[in-house]
Amino acid sequence: MTATLDRPSSAAAGTPVWTIGAPRLLAGLDRFPVIDYPTHLAVHGPMPGSDLERVLTQLDGVGLAGRGGAGFPLAAKLRAMPAHGRRRVVVNGTESEPASRKDRVLLTRAPHLVLDGALAVATALGAAGTTVAVHDEAVATALRAAVAQRPDRVDVVVVPGGFVSGEARAVIRSLDGGPALPPGRRTPPTEHGDLLANAETFAQVAVLLRLGWRRFAETGTHHEPGTTLLTVGGAVGRPGVVELPLGTPLGIVLAAAQAAVAQAVVIGGYHGAWHPPIPRITLDRAGVASAGGSFGAGVLLVVDEQTCALGELAVATRWLADQSAAQCGPCRFGLPALADDVHQLYRGAPNAVEIAFRHVRAVSGRGACAHPDGAARFVTSALHMLQDEIEQHAHAGTCGRPVLNRLGVTA
Amino acid sequence: MRLEIDWTRCDGSGLCAELLAERITRDEWGYPLIADSRVAEDDRSARRAVAACPALALRLAHA
Repeated sequence: MTATLDRPSSAAAGTPVWTIGAPRLLAGLDRFPVIDYPTHLAVHGPMPGSDLERVLTQLDGVGLAGRGGAGFPLAAKLRAMPAHGRRRVVVNGTESEPASRKDRVLLTRAPHLVLDGALAVATALGAAGTTVAVHDEAVATALRAAVAQRPDRVDVVVVPGGFVSGEARAVIRSLDGGPALPPGRRTPPTEHGDLLANAETFAQVAVLLRLGWRRFAETGTHHEPGTTLLTVGGAVGRPGVVELPLGTPLGIVLAAAQAAVAQAVVIGGYHGAWHPPIPRITLDRAGVASAGGSFGAGVLLVVDEQTCALGELAVATRWLADQSAAQCGPCRFGLPALADDVHQLYRGAPNAVEIAFRHVRAVSGRGACAHPDGAARFVTSALHMLQDEIEQHAHAGTCGRPVLNRLGVTA
Repeated sequence: MRLEIDWTRCDGSGLCAELLAERITRDEWGYPLIADSRVAEDDRSARRAVAACPALALRLAHA
């Protein structure tokens, strides 16, 4: 059994966008399918100057954290850049998280916000070049058209690969002509003069530099000011990419998304975690962390009562195993073993839970990148949540429900 | 210092687990499980194991 990603090749073309509260990144997308450069300037106004001191003051003012999943403070990356030698700004637009669409929406429909932010950081750092790395040819085409509308030089590069190829150091390695794989040594890209951040992060920089940190912080939480993009999917009436204030309660988002009655929600995507649909969980990094999960790159998937959750987990775990780059032994052998365990649970085999937890421990903390740890978190959280389903499958062989593929990958 | 494994290099030969049996065991596929990665500066057996790793995957890292 292999699992394949059910993702439209036409990038973000068919992805609806909507907002809770006032839009910032998505401003204008209710009126324009694509925001070209003149429209961008009319919607957002001119970009202010960006010397390093001003950029750092603004970033520090709101503690702007990366929006690619790790949540690392952007100002700390800028400060870690070497004072001398080649410096390059890299926009990670690969968005390899399977359920996420937010970076594709930004790069294809509001590309100039991302470019503004990247070019501002490049100016502040005195960087020699600015590069956007993407996985999809369609995104690259849209982005090159946007770059051609501006007086600036930006390289758009299509880098190959799957989930782990979107990891920061894998992207850098690929841009430099190497394989699109995470390297064995955990050295940060800044050590070699690369300032890499996720596409949404640079769009947030463009908003921040225009608004100034005080106005930027008028929405969101005290510790995590501003808005965030969230890709909403699964059993919802209004799937799509949503902009909302950080700290918005899950219950508000589920109601606005017209979610079906949920048995579980997956927050953070395939390196995130399964949660009971508790309405008061707040959607910010601290809120999801205190619920035992990870906000990740901003994904919310609804697993409704109509689908077999254990079957959904089996398909997702197989997909995670297939995404291993097979570089590191524990991930190469451990994740397929774990996928087999979950499939056995789905088939109703007794005692597979203990073996599954043993294989979770066998992959945790034992790889060159975050994939084994992220996969382990995803599966562990689900196994804890689905104890009744596991018992039901062990007792009757099935829960009687079909697998409706709510998580975006299909068997 | 700390014992570190470059997982992209390790092929599970198991030599480290033989040389450092008191701190390294192997998982079901043969890959090393390090019980305690902290190493004293004068730990000659750890240095010997690092030098012997056929895949150059076992390392001593500072901090």
